[in-house]
Amino acid sequence: MLLTGSDIQAIWLTIKLASTVTFLLLLIGTPVAWWLARSQTRLKGVVGAVVALPLVLPPSVLGFYLLLAMGPNGPVGHLTRILGVGALPFTFWGLVLASVFYSLPFMVQPLQNAFEAIGERPLEVAASLGASPLDAFFSVVVPLARPGFLTASILTFAHTVGEFGVVLMIGGNIPGVSRVASVQIYDHVEALEYGQAHRMAAVMLIFSFVVLLGLYARRPDSLKMTGRG
Amino acid sequence: MQLVMNIKKSFGSFALETDFTITGQKTGIFGTSGSGKSTLVSMLAGLVRPDSGEIVLDGECLFSSTERINMRPEQRRIAMVFQQHSLFPHLNVTHNLLYGFKRCRPEHRSIDFDVLVEVLKLGALLDRGVSNLSGGEQQRVALGRAILANPRLLLMDEPLSALDDSLRFQIIPYLKSVSEQFDIPYLFISHSLLEMRLMADQVLNVAGGRIVGISSAEELARQRLGSSQVGYINLLKLGRPSESGTMYAYPWGAAQLLLSAGSESDKSIAELSSKDIILFKQHPEAISARNLLQCTVRSLFSSGRKIGVEMECGGNTLISEVVQDAVNELGIAPGGTVFAAIKASAFRMLPG
Repeated sequence: MLLTGSDIQAIWLTIKLASTVTFLLLLIGTPVAWWLARSQTRLKGVVGAVVALPLVLPPSVLGFYLLLAMGPNGPVGHLTRILGVGALPFTFWGLVLASVFYSLPFMVQPLQNAFEAIGERPLEVAASLGASPLDAFFSVVVPLARPGFLTASILTFAHTVGEFGVVLMIGGNIPGVSRVASVQIYDHVEALEYGQAHRMAAVMLIFSFVVLLGLYARRPDSLKMTGRG
Repeated sequence: MQLVMNIKKSFGSFALETDFTITGQKTGIFGTSGSGKSTLVSMLAGLVRPDSGEIVLDGECLFSSTERINMRPEQRRIAMVFQQHSLFPHLNVTHNLLYGFKRCRPEHRSIDFDVLVEVLKLGALLDRGVSNLSGGEQQRVALGRAILANPRLLLMDEPLSALDDSLRFQIIPYLKSVSEQFDIPYLFISHSLLEMRLMADQVLNVAGGRIVGISSAEELARQRLGSSQVGYINLLKLGRPSESGTMYAYPWGAAQLLLSAGSESDKSIAELSSKDIILFKQHPEAISARNLLQCTVRSLFSSGRKIGVEMECGGNTLISEVVQDAVNELGIAPGGTVFAAIKASAFRMLPG
């Protein structure tokens, strides 16, 4: 066996985390991106900057603040205690929450670009044909922004897979709960198990390359509101 | 259709202000780009909110600032046909056509899909993707989609301006026939006076954000004779031509015209500028122009520094332009006789 049981457990946990985060971010990021693409208010700049923060912030900074917020004295910690969920740090769902923040720009920005590229016209056409805004969103915007949804989902998934700093700060290193693939590699190196580290690292490398290849080798977007004149 | 539009709207330094009531099935909105005509129809469709005023269509209030009414665009039942690129690329022709139809309340559905497909000759296109259609086909599908939404009013915002000349004149009969056949009134927006004359019974003339006149398209064309670089364009309905030496003889009412261009069609329309008609008081002895028509002057009208001379000629109407000095010298007056000389090459056949 090339990979140990704990390696496979770490990979499985990573896939579970990345899938959960991608799903949640599709639900959260879509309305945020839609609002950012369509809003004309000054608040748009503030929200855009907040969404982009994880792109430039060291993961340890984000992890530190999230740890404080989720801790027993933090607002999120208070809330989870009232709801009877218990403390989130060092749990899988704590990790999910942190990853949602950390990967937010990877979902929102491609979606925002896709929505902006669609423009006003298809929505005006849909409205004049009797479609409500929600109807037009699902019957016109979602199909037209499909490449954007695909890109955003792939980037979010891949970015969550590649997390390390935030995971260590929030999740620690608990097998089956928070020990994801990147942490597992770190552990192997710490224990001087270079062979194991190599194999895990190779899996991550190949995965990342295949994901990016899938992203860059896709045919150019053919779903535009254009046609031969 | 009765439309009351009494609204104000400002964008920066541009202000649009209208106060008109129109009735009729075929109305044109004419103006140069930037005159405010597209904003006007966007407000009517509910895509742009007026600052104040009211819009009432067939007795129903669509917008009223005092009564705080602003009906949502999808509830107004006003369909739009845009200049271009308005088909949904993720849907094929059939699904594009049915988009509005499916969203139309059953009690409003009076237009039959198959009949419309027949009228617009879309049968061969139904399974095609829209990106493979020609510009003219795309506009026919867009028109069919708007009609199938069973609107009470159809807005056409420069629907022909992205098409080349030959396609444009092929589409015009479709635009008119679907409106007539399915009894849907329309507002047709264009900066082309020719399109106005072919499409509209009455025209709102928009300039600088104001309605500067409501008249028939014909009156508007006559008013603009003096200011237009091309003069007044006579539209001559001609019959099937026969060869006549190196030219073609076309029946034109009771008269006959010699043109240098031939045609295979039984019915065609030729453009002739008022500038290309020379008037003589008496029959000239010999001239190079191949058409010399004896006409009776019906009326004179002034436009700028020009005088338009409306003449009756073999049961047809012809408008020429002259300057005041010529009117005086030739003694042109209603009831008088003049001879109109027109070169065989002065006519331009409308394509299609």
